Amino acid sequence: MKKMMKTAALSAAFAAGVALALPASAQEDSIYIPNLSYRTGPFAATGTPLMNGQRDYITLLNERDGGLNGVKLTYDECETGYNTEKGVECYERTKENAVVTQPWSTGITLQVLPKSNVDEIPILAPGYGFSPMADGKVFQWAFNPPSSYWDGASMILKHISDGDLSNLNGKKIALLHLDHPYGKEPIPLLEALAEEHGFTLLPIPVGLTEMQNQSAQWLQIRRERPDFVLMWGWGAMNAGAVTEAAKTRYPMEQFIGIWWSGHDGDLKLIGEEGKGYRSISWSVPVPDSQLVQDIRQYVVEPGKSLIENESELDSVFYQRGLMISAMLVEAIRAAQEEFDTQAPDATQVRWGLENLKMDEARLEELGATGMLVPFETSCANHTGHGGAWMLEWDGEKFVKVSDLITPDREAIEPLEDKEAQAYAEANAPWPVNEECEM
Amino acid sequence: MDFLNAIFVQPFADMAGAPDFLLQVVWEGLVGGVLYALIALGFVLIYKSSRIFNFAQGIMVVFAALTLVGLNEKGVPALLALPLTLLVMLVLAVTIERAVLRPLVNQPDIILFMATIGITLFLIGFGEIIFGGENKVMITRELMIPTDSITLDLFGGFVSIEEKDLTSVIGAVLLVAALLLFLNRTKTGRAIRALGDDHQAALSVGISLSTIWVVVWFIAGVIALATGIAWGARAGVSFALEVIAYKALPVLMLGGLESVMGAIIGGLAIGILEKLFEVYWGQPLMGGNTEAWFAYVVALIVLLFRPQGLFGERIIERV
Repeated sequence: MKKMMKTAALSAAFAAGVALALPASAQEDSIYIPNLSYRTGPFAATGTPLMNGQRDYITLLNERDGGLNGVKLTYDECETGYNTEKGVECYERTKENAVVTQPWSTGITLQVLPKSNVDEIPILAPGYGFSPMADGKVFQWAFNPPSSYWDGASMILKHISDGDLSNLNGKKIALLHLDHPYGKEPIPLLEALAEEHGFTLLPIPVGLTEMQNQSAQWLQIRRERPDFVLMWGWGAMNAGAVTEAAKTRYPMEQFIGIWWSGHDGDLKLIGEEGKGYRSISWSVPVPDSQLVQDIRQYVVEPGKSLIENESELDSVFYQRGLMISAMLVEAIRAAQEEFDTQAPDATQVRWGLENLKMDEARLEELGATGMLVPFETSCANHTGHGGAWMLEWDGEKFVKVSDLITPDREAIEPLEDKEAQAYAEANAPWPVNEECEM
Repeated sequence: MDFLNAIFVQPFADMAGAPDFLLQVVWEGLVGGVLYALIALGFVLIYKSSRIFNFAQGIMVVFAALTLVGLNEKGVPALLALPLTLLVMLVLAVTIERAVLRPLVNQPDIILFMATIGITLFLIGFGEIIFGGENKVMITRELMIPTDSITLDLFGGFVSIEEKDLTSVIGAVLLVAALLLFLNRTKTGRAIRALGDDHQAALSVGISLSTIWVVVWFIAGVIALATGIAWGARAGVSFALEVIAYKALPVLMLGGLESVMGAIIGGLAIGILEKLFEVYWGQPLMGGNTEAWFAYVVALIVLLFRPQGLFGERIIERV
């Protein structure tokens, strides 16, 4: 009897151990969604609200709907601190049974890109990563919806030139950028457009240790007097730049950032002085949307969110985080329907990401009307090129000040094709999607 | 020829052509240099008294600044939050001495260095849990630090001086003066210096190692708070402040790890030189961002000729 009890106890312990040791993903009733997040380090201030938004959207589906079509979504963060080496380590640690990987940095994306062909896990990098990833035939496992950095650069130029880039002839445009793969990403396109339209491009790099002390960069801006300053900033660099711009008295209406440089927390540091600063954005906070109300009811009020205070719910980055998870979930949903399975695998989710349809009707069904630019992907188009809106800081918050702006695809596509081919050749043998006939 | 002109002629012509701009560059370099010097001082004090290279100095800057802002956010008036933050830094110093340093007495230096890496990781995690990772606004006005700017019309141009930068410089000078007085004119200060000179001899005359370590870590905490306020006023308070501590490393290489004066002069020199180089040579000739490496190159050149740094002690060991 004693022996039996002991055997039973050991068996139970073993079974429990096996169950605990198995990743949640391996259980049939859940879908494993890892996220290579960064809530610590120099970029935590911008990473935290994005991760909170992503996490809360998944929690909402689990709490309100019991998961996605009856299957629980297991959201799992691996902390990278925005460090490329740690990011790669996190990718390796979370790839088993993952239906997607979300690298959250252009540097990490570039490292993971070749691995995705071997591991056959789709990379979801919304609004970041290598712009030519838009070419789905070459980058069959990578997705950067709804707009790429090159789309962003094109849209900003279109906006400041009133729709005609020839108006920029003779102008000087500074690009204040993080000295990092992310910050350098728009340079090839901007150089090509500068040559074509006769404006001068002045790249001004900001090193990691200079993010909070950009006086040298802003002295250069004072000396060179550019007509516009575009910013590809991240983390503490954004706050440092807007503070220096105010100090240098650079006209805020000539200072425009990419979507990762439009964080409420950064602009709150200077408040009224930042009035007029603009940021292009493919997402817009809609505080009274049905989705945000549901988040409040099912996630925040029961204490299941990690947000520090409720005002974060209305911020650009938190609501962008919601939209990023919404894109992913819609891809999984599409895969579930196409393959008639509750728990699609990574290959099937890749199909979902290639057939993602986030039109206005679908956004309305999700309770997210106006929160995201409508877009559609295909096997050849992994970005969707949905466009963006211009947001402006009014002293307290970002407000939408433009209609939908679309990128000049005719100008971008030749460069995109060239760079995609160059990447494939440099990394040969590089598998391409020959089945895609678009 | 053009290249030589760009190196040896044009920068000086630019300086002479726009002296107001040159003054602005020097001022910005001076402000940065004062703050580098403050961070370096934190390293020097701890190294001087205990031979520990305190890797945690950067995170102490973040922790002190976040505590100050965090207390204010909880409703504590700024002028009360300031002494309370100092109290927190004292508690931190005592805790580090009791929990980390005391058990490691007589261990090799590398073990103590590794322990400070452990302190760093702990403070990052602990700080995240308590204060969150978001950027916070430094309570500059509440601390009665002026935030306007002074514009001086000079040489047909202008020099803009932020009052908060001016306050930082004055505050740093006063803090360093007080520190020098403390180290040179008080019994505890002399004990710290004695420990730096010879541990065994200092212990044999009754100097308490544990008390001195608490005092020194507390002073490093005070310096961290001052640095955190000054940097935080410029670009907000976040964990990114930790990165600034890396700027102190070439300062220490240049000035010497044991020299208070070396930290001050090294900080100022690197602050001004890197700014001048970046604006007049780095940006036109190298595409900018030379500040990331310039200070290290200067420090390495100095090390070639003076391995102990400009003001470090030359150690001769007889076998």
